[in-house]
Amino acid sequence: MKYLNEYRDPELAKQYLEEIKKTVTQPWSIMEVCGGQTHSLVKNGIIDMLPKEVTMIHGPGCPVCVTPLNLIDKAIHLALNENVILCSFGDMLRVPGSKINLLEAKAKGGDIRVLYSPLEAVKIAADNPNREVVFFAVGFETTAPANALSVIHAHRRKLNNYSILASHVLVPPAIKAVIDDEESKIDGFLAAGHVCTIMGNSEYYPIAKKHEVPIVVTGFEPLDVLQGILMVIRQLEANKSIVENQYSRIVREDGNTAAQKIIFEVD
Amino acid sequence: MCLAIPGKIKSIALQDNGNVKMAKVSFGGIIKEVSLEMLPDADIGDYVLVHVGIAISKVDEEEAQKTFEYLKEIGEIVELEDAEGDVQEKEE
Repeated sequence: MKYLNEYRDPELAKQYLEEIKKTVTQPWSIMEVCGGQTHSLVKNGIIDMLPKEVTMIHGPGCPVCVTPLNLIDKAIHLALNENVILCSFGDMLRVPGSKINLLEAKAKGGDIRVLYSPLEAVKIAADNPNREVVFFAVGFETTAPANALSVIHAHRRKLNNYSILASHVLVPPAIKAVIDDEESKIDGFLAAGHVCTIMGNSEYYPIAKKHEVPIVVTGFEPLDVLQGILMVIRQLEANKSIVENQYSRIVREDGNTAAQKIIFEVD
Repeated sequence: MCLAIPGKIKSIALQDNGNVKMAKVSFGGIIKEVSLEMLPDADIGDYVLVHVGIAISKVDEEEAQKTFEYLKEIGEIVELEDAEGDVQEKEE
């Protein structure tokens, strides 16, 4: 597939690893913020091929994992109500609640539908006017506009039986909290490329400046992650701390303004 | 969770009384319906990044080359810096 396969080229990956080895002169700890980047590091074996001086610290960037327990319980409670169709991304079904998870609620008879897109939930609401349809809307900045768009669609179609159980979280405050924690000694960050696709890069400039940490907005394919790591290390070795964009084929400086407008329209 | 995949727009149609711009997008041959509401300027033939059924960015073809050229580029910068260093040393 175009724009995927070429970023998985093993030969170029080797060259990136060589360059990282050549550049690094001392130990550095780098946090990849997004779970998708962690997945890429592990699945492609990058983590084992990096020089010993480079330690990757896995970041807080997974909205599924950071969804509060009480919201999982609320979703389960709703799902067990006969009048409710609970719609959710598949990732949420195995997350434990205080007693059971959504998968077990489904086994108990809860009408839980696993969807690819929140827009599908609106169609379900239109097709089931006598039941309440609730979408379990988890997500970072990447997913918040899609969840918000479903509300706009339902409103436009004058549906009164659609709502979302929202659990949205922001990335920049999480990065700041990690930096402020005295025990964390992180020298540089790979920022989450798809979050920045929506929000742009501006929120990271003050963080990089104030805390003197390099922040490189980074994609998810093996070459993206390797280039992001190299860019952070080049900054660290040169005693720089600026925001750079490795994922410029996707991330625009101002992000996606249409998507931002949709978030704030519903917010 | 924040997974998004690039695909190519094959066709565009208006739905919901003209309110919603939808595209048929090919992901290596698999066709999916995708909302273009967050990417109003996207056109047939464009590669777009799709997240949970919604196109969130257009792939910039020129920028897409940068990852392949970056190593060469920094190699040239280092060479240039070395050359400048040599010139300065000579001048001194």
